[in-house]
Amino acid sequence: MVRRSTLLALLLVAACSKGPEADLAYIGQARSLAAEWALVNRQAAVGKLTDHYVTTMRQQLRQQLQTVSSALTQPDSRYGLEIHALLTQPDDADPEELRSHADKLKQIEDGLESA
Amino acid sequence: MNPLEITLGIMTAVGGFVDISELVFAAKAGSTFGYALIWVFLLATIGIMTFAEMSGRVAAVARQPVFNLMRHRLGLKLGLITLFASVVSTLITCAAEIGGVGLILHYLTGAPYLLMATLGVILLAASIWVLPFQWIERTYGLLGLLMITFAVALVAIHPPWDKIAAGMVPQVPPGLSTKELLSFGYFSVAIVSAVMFPYETYFYSSGGIEEEWGPKDLPNNRLNCTVGFGLGSLLAMAILASSAQLFGPALVSPETPGTSALEAAIPLGRTGLLLALLGMLMAIGGAAVETCMANAYSVAQFFGWEWGRHKKPWEAPRFTLAWMICFLLALAIVLTNVDVMSLVEYAVLFSIIVLPLTYLPLMLLAGDKTYMRQYANGPLAKTIGWLFFAIVTLAAIAAIPLYLLTSGGQG
Repeated sequence: MVRRSTLLALLLVAACSKGPEADLAYIGQARSLAAEWALVNRQAAVGKLTDHYVTTMRQQLRQQLQTVSSALTQPDSRYGLEIHALLTQPDDADPEELRSHADKLKQIEDGLESA
Repeated sequence: MNPLEITLGIMTAVGGFVDISELVFAAKAGSTFGYALIWVFLLATIGIMTFAEMSGRVAAVARQPVFNLMRHRLGLKLGLITLFASVVSTLITCAAEIGGVGLILHYLTGAPYLLMATLGVILLAASIWVLPFQWIERTYGLLGLLMITFAVALVAIHPPWDKIAAGMVPQVPPGLSTKELLSFGYFSVAIVSAVMFPYETYFYSSGGIEEEWGPKDLPNNRLNCTVGFGLGSLLAMAILASSAQLFGPALVSPETPGTSALEAAIPLGRTGLLLALLGMLMAIGGAAVETCMANAYSVAQFFGWEWGRHKKPWEAPRFTLAWMICFLLALAIVLTNVDVMSLVEYAVLFSIIVLPLTYLPLMLLAGDKTYMRQYANGPLAKTIGWLFFAIVTLAAIAAIPLYLLTSGGQG
């Protein structure tokens, strides 16, 4: 779950703006979650993590992504679709696939920040 | 005191230094700003060393608990405000630590998080009930030394030591946008708060009285605060540096203690992961015990009740009830399913606001020759003390605006 304190702060900001600007923080969170998921799956694939740890981390990451996705003001945007595509991935998705989603979200994030 | 006791005291201080807020903010700071925030850890560590030394000295010389003296010095009204503010902030911190214990047990066993938080509280409460004070301190402090895994992991990934050393010099990274500058400010304030939590001095000074310190223990007090806290802080810096090396380039901004554990797993495998998780469990569990007892100490000392773990639980019934109620309230907060990381942020925000209220009376007490005689603050302690008072006051003023402007450090 995305931190409620963060959501409160984000809502305050979102109250003043809508669209990509308001979603920027969520895009950053989704990018981080996708990259973390890739890291967990990469380490799990080489046997460096315990089963319980992998299962709980994947559950947490998916829940957080779902919360981010449902908080977007523009779910049909390019980043919204990217986050949706992430959520359709299986728990043990290919780390490279997950990382490519993270990279795409990073590009969108950077583009919006420099706009 | 013999050398073994001194070594144990220092090791306990090392193992007991890190808590969930430091874990989370060190990892986030490293991934977001590389090594540029190491100096803030260093600065805040000098601050906590200074104030913890003062609180230990007050306990050893005046042989009276800080909150009792505070009531006399500040008067009932201002004393009550300080008590209320510190109890609320420490209760939130305690809830965050209990949530952290639940999370780590969840990673270790796969059992439901809330069930693990409840089990954690039962085990922590049992340890306070059963163990004498010194063994409470030593059990968590010494087992918390498993956190050294993070330092070993840092060495194993061959970090750029020159950049780490450069991070110890006060700086603001060049070329940051306004948004990034605000975020840098927010992380700085959060780190100062997480390192200098007010409960640490209450617990430390009350511990001094539990262990019947006198003026002869002042050199040991100084060693515990400087060497013990200094080495403990190095562990937090190791977490920051590993995060800068591993998470920053991987685009990961760690949000939970589970992510920090990856720092040990990547170079050291499953053994590293398990040792890191166990070290975190003991360090966070120890912090939960300290916060809970700090609240009980503060309330009991303020109202003049019998207190202390050198007495049997039923010999100090109101003190015993106070720490039990603190644990139950903290668990009740966790059981509302509030997110642990939100609790960490609230704990850091509330604590930074309370810090000036905590440290000003402490500094006045430690400088008061009526209580402290020839052991009152000298020119150096006074200068450093006032400098840090100014820093925590500025941080307290800036905390909430920075939190809102950066959406809690999200940028």
